[in-house]
Amino acid sequence: MAYPITELVNEDATLVSRRCWTDPGVYALEKRGIFGRAWLFLGHESQLRQPGDFVQAYMCETPIILSRGQDRRLYACIDSCSHRGLPVCRADHGNTKRFICPYHNWSYSVEGELVAIPQENAVRNKPDKSRLGLKRVPRLETWRGLVFGSFDPDIMPLEEYLGDMRFYLDAFLGRFPDGIEFIGAPHRWLLDANWKLPVENQLGDVNHGAFLHSAIIPREAQDRIEELGHSVVTAPGHGATFRLMPPDAAVDEVAWGMEGMGGMLGGAPVQEYLREVQARAAERVGPLRARMKGLTYGVYPNLSFLWSNASFKVSHPRGPGRVEYWSWAVVPADAPDEIKRVLRTNYSSFFGPGGILEQEDSEVWVQQFRGCNIDFADDRPCFYGLGLGEEKPHPELPGLVSVTANEFYARHFFARWRDDLLAVEGRP
Amino acid sequence: MSDFALSTSPGQQRQLEAFYYREARLLDNRQYRQWLALLSEDILYRLPSRVNVQVDNRQRGDEDMISVERELEGADSMGCPIREETYIHLVLRVERAFKINSWSENPPARTRRLVGNVELMTHGGDEYSVLSNFHLYYARPGGASFLYSGQRRDVLLAAGEGYKIRRREVILDYGDIALPTLGLLF
Repeated sequence: MAYPITELVNEDATLVSRRCWTDPGVYALEKRGIFGRAWLFLGHESQLRQPGDFVQAYMCETPIILSRGQDRRLYACIDSCSHRGLPVCRADHGNTKRFICPYHNWSYSVEGELVAIPQENAVRNKPDKSRLGLKRVPRLETWRGLVFGSFDPDIMPLEEYLGDMRFYLDAFLGRFPDGIEFIGAPHRWLLDANWKLPVENQLGDVNHGAFLHSAIIPREAQDRIEELGHSVVTAPGHGATFRLMPPDAAVDEVAWGMEGMGGMLGGAPVQEYLREVQARAAERVGPLRARMKGLTYGVYPNLSFLWSNASFKVSHPRGPGRVEYWSWAVVPADAPDEIKRVLRTNYSSFFGPGGILEQEDSEVWVQQFRGCNIDFADDRPCFYGLGLGEEKPHPELPGLVSVTANEFYARHFFARWRDDLLAVEGRP
Repeated sequence: MSDFALSTSPGQQRQLEAFYYREARLLDNRQYRQWLALLSEDILYRLPSRVNVQVDNRQRGDEDMISVERELEGADSMGCPIREETYIHLVLRVERAFKINSWSENPPARTRRLVGNVELMTHGGDEYSVLSNFHLYYARPGGASFLYSGQRRDVLLAAGEGYKIRRREVILDYGDIALPTLGLLF
């Protein structure tokens, strides 16, 4: 590779080479050093209620079938036939007994076991089907309904990997009487950008709102966000941003969902539902987290959660210069269907491929990629030094805490990223 | 809805088509505020998500097996449509276009809409259900150009000499969404 890793990100990660986003050699190392060794988000258990239910997922560029087996356990297999390598699943989601390869009808159970090879009837030596199932993802674990897989058989348990992010995720997931569910198939769209650009935006970049989104977000609203805003890094690459509302703030000001388009326009039943959730939030998540009003979250390497607009997102690489971005609306599991239908628009009005706000974000990810794919500027790495060293431990909040203007979330991300690549550099 | 459009008089057909031609011209000329005046303020503007659904073996041989409707996550479904908007959303989109910091439209896209296959499907009281197809060419400086293709399922309300749009459902013909935004005014 033309660029030694140690020259891509400097010691304190205040300078990040443009090649981190554009170099094919860097991307090849990312596949092994990051996507081969991390817990990667696959889906949510609410998508897989019945035996035979399945959804498609990806781990980097590798297609995955996530399914609920006849034994009600979850399975994750690589979607590639053992005979000629074709994908055996074409639907985004569904319920099935068999996945069947179109080429020669090799048939697999919903757990990924090879069940039938029609052609073997005409030959004498029968292959050992027990050795020819779909390749299983070696590790699969869930926490609060969130399903993750890893290609690293020796990776630490998921709960340990998530660490203190659980405290912050629970502030949302634990807020509702029956937790949350994913509604519908993910929106998936392609962007000419690097996978880390959406990730970095969602990990903690709250302050671009005042500038990039000023056509939509009023300045007073953004000032209030920054005034109450906290940015937290629980471990390098994991981050959360949220407003900590004053203890005497009105319920309507604190309650999740009230500030979204669905919450604002949805009428009395929706607003009463949201107030009721907030009224009991302290019982479920404690008084401190009841006052939290989340903004953006990131779980290393490529899962994001946008609390303010109730969406989980995954940035799937398709090479160094292409992203397949997935996003799901999430809704409270206990809400009546008509309220779920309103609350999903808290996401879709502003985010997703048709969202009023996110079209600006997509624009800058594409433009940043272009700006990093130019010549004669390698001596001008991108500057990530804002707020260096200003993050501190907090008496009540786990992790390192700072104002949202501090770019420490990105410095920690790139320091971990650099170390992950160093761990596999020069090794097969 | 029957498979056959209502038989319309040449005058009525012409009136419907003239309405859509003017709408397309206003949008391509970026006269978005004048476009807003074509909407009924109780408009519901929807863009279903399109999903790759599993073939249902029991429907083998039936038209239902490959119907477009099966692929749509629309407003009445428990899926997640891409857009479910009201007049307020559309006002927000229009006003955004006239701000200097709406960066994804700066410089603005050059667009051209062709509308055709205008069919009046049902008519009751002052409401007209009308189908139309469109191709929308979209080009921005410094980027690729794109073709959006789709069907619009409208409910128009008779208003004076013309119509107001009361319902619009946009069925976009995307496989993967390799388009810069689905936030346009279709």
